[in-house]
Amino acid sequence: MRKIWIVIRREFVERVRTKWFIISTIMGPLFMSGVLVAPIALATGGGRDRSIVVVDLTENGFGERLTADLNRSQSIKAERLPTSLTDLTSVTDSLSELVRRKMYDGLLVVTNQALEDGKTEYLGTNASSPRDMQILNRYVQETTLTERLTRAGVDPAAVRQARLDVQIQVTKITGVKGKKESGEGAFALAYAMWFVLYLSIIVYGVTVMGAVVEEKTSRVIEILASSVRPFQLLAGKIVGVGAVGLFQLLIWGICATFLLNHQKEVMHLLRLPMTSETPSFPHMSLVTAAVFLGYFILGYFLYAAMFAAVASTSSSEAEARQAQTPVVMLLVVPSVLMVGILNDPNGSLAHTLGLVPFFSPIAMPVRWAAAPVPPGELALSLGILAATLVAVTWLAARIYRTGILMYGKRPSLRELIRWVRAS
Amino acid sequence: MTSSAAVELKSITKRYAGHTAVQDLTLTVPRGSIYGLLGPNGAGKTSTIRMILGIVRPDEGAISVLGDPGGGWAVNDRIGYLPEERGLYKKMKVLDHLLFLGQAKGMTRSAARVEALRWLDQVGLSQWSGRKIDELSKGMQQKVQFIAAVQHHPQLVVLDEPFAGLDPVNSQVLKDTVRDLSRGGTTILFSTHVMEQAERLCDSVCIIARGKKILDGAVADVKRGHGGRHVVLAVEHGNGDVERLLADRSLIARSDNYGNYAELELTSGTDPQSLLERIIAAGARVTRFEIAEPSLHKIFVDLVGAEAAVPVAIN
Repeated sequence: MRKIWIVIRREFVERVRTKWFIISTIMGPLFMSGVLVAPIALATGGGRDRSIVVVDLTENGFGERLTADLNRSQSIKAERLPTSLTDLTSVTDSLSELVRRKMYDGLLVVTNQALEDGKTEYLGTNASSPRDMQILNRYVQETTLTERLTRAGVDPAAVRQARLDVQIQVTKITGVKGKKESGEGAFALAYAMWFVLYLSIIVYGVTVMGAVVEEKTSRVIEILASSVRPFQLLAGKIVGVGAVGLFQLLIWGICATFLLNHQKEVMHLLRLPMTSETPSFPHMSLVTAAVFLGYFILGYFLYAAMFAAVASTSSSEAEARQAQTPVVMLLVVPSVLMVGILNDPNGSLAHTLGLVPFFSPIAMPVRWAAAPVPPGELALSLGILAATLVAVTWLAARIYRTGILMYGKRPSLRELIRWVRAS
Repeated sequence: MTSSAAVELKSITKRYAGHTAVQDLTLTVPRGSIYGLLGPNGAGKTSTIRMILGIVRPDEGAISVLGDPGGGWAVNDRIGYLPEERGLYKKMKVLDHLLFLGQAKGMTRSAARVEALRWLDQVGLSQWSGRKIDELSKGMQQKVQFIAAVQHHPQLVVLDEPFAGLDPVNSQVLKDTVRDLSRGGTTILFSTHVMEQAERLCDSVCIIARGKKILDGAVADVKRGHGGRHVVLAVEHGNGDVERLLADRSLIARSDNYGNYAELELTSGTDPQSLLERIIAAGARVTRFEIAEPSLHKIFVDLVGAEAAVPVAIN
């Protein structure tokens, strides 16, 4: 036990000291603030209002009312330009030129017909921004609707009341009592969990693989093998690298919590407006954090053991990279199928992937974040994963024990089986 | 098994896929001795050493190390090992590395620090203790690795080809250090394929080739057992009678005759004393007549033939 501790200590201290660790630890929160701020900055276009020209071909005041309505929105400044049908081409041409010169963002052409067939034309540089188009669409739609209703003889006061914003507040009901999250938040959380789990299991698994290969190629293993038992070395290495991973996740977690709690201050610092449309980030409950951590630890151990076994049978970095493919593929499967899990978190795909041991470390936390999971199923999934971990570690340790002292060509499957069966 | 032996191997055999690395090997390393495990490359030296250290287990046979019959593992912390393939963590600092290896041998961190610093000073690497391993020259790295093998005061030090890659000065330093350790009561087991080194340093040897033991025992006994038949002769005024005498195959099995100087190997019935009398009687003036001890190299070549010096290909 003491020797495992010595191996863990070396692995942890030497890794935490490296430039790579320091840089990635600092880059993490920077990346996070980027994720936090970028969509807002993009969505608000740096806080600038869109200025558009309403090319008005109507004769019944619809154009005027539409311009007024658009100006009521927080992000559009509209100017009306009454035009006749004969001048339309020259007017749109000259306005398009102004848009190209960035004096306006776009032009909206409204005709009498708009009330009949609902067709309105918009030309602009921001035509591909979903958010801008959504706002524009909403105001044009509302004004058109009001206009039609008024014409049909409905009392304008009644129309005004009918126009009240309708907003559905989506809340996810979860298996855990008192746990409440918005639907959008749940999706973001599930996505974030997938991202962090997939990346950290791969990155730290490959780190373990590199460490094992390094000991073989540098022949340090010769002297280590005479002091420390192979299992102690393997366990110490995996736990040591894992501790580095947890340490980094902890630093990132603290930074993320801080950023989320001080979103206002951060936004203020970056001179970005804090509006109702600023995306709110999901709150991660303690139970969810525990589920995440549990699957991260078990999943990391499972994959690290496999990466270590693969590395022990390779004599060089290049060989190991080739041999790792099947292990990486196992991790890629649940990631590829993640969209399926998110679309139907209670479907049979999500159920199955949440139980299959090599997929569950990623599939289950994603499912947990997206939908209620019965505690019994969570326990079953964890149980299967833990049992697989024990079996895989046992196998990996036996391959590792022989592999670390073998050089030359990689063993065949038959040789591997003999290594495993040797006493 | 007697406790006076540091290492005792009884009929051990180790097979790898397609070839037998060590076959039915029995040997005893007396406590406090300097013991040489000799043989050409590929003879099974490293496999034998790994079994003694408990890194691999023999397929057959029994191993007792420092009184522990379970193979080398239980007494692991009392063994020091310098592997043939040298290697250290390149990015680690010298002192940190020695502390790690010392702790891995059961030392406390503070005790390891004292010993590591003392040894670094002794081999002239004090000012390098804070440098990374890959900033050191090959020779310096070898010294660091040697310190790792001895800093925890092991009772048995196993050195696999310790002289490989050392310049003459450092070879001499290593020999002196090994002798010092031996005087302090440490048992030294080392392997080499250079017989001359073993001859000068070892108390006892075991010669193996192709996984099998050729002979073992105290160096003096080995030489005595294979000596006494070799005579170095130098004469003045040699004549035909002397030539005829030396060409007599009933007396002399083999001769390497340069006229005034000859190396002779006598037949088993020939007494060197009577041969000398007959040479003098033949009228030659003898300037040198020496019953020479054969070198270990000569014994080895005589016993297994020069072709055994070539390693067997695996499979």
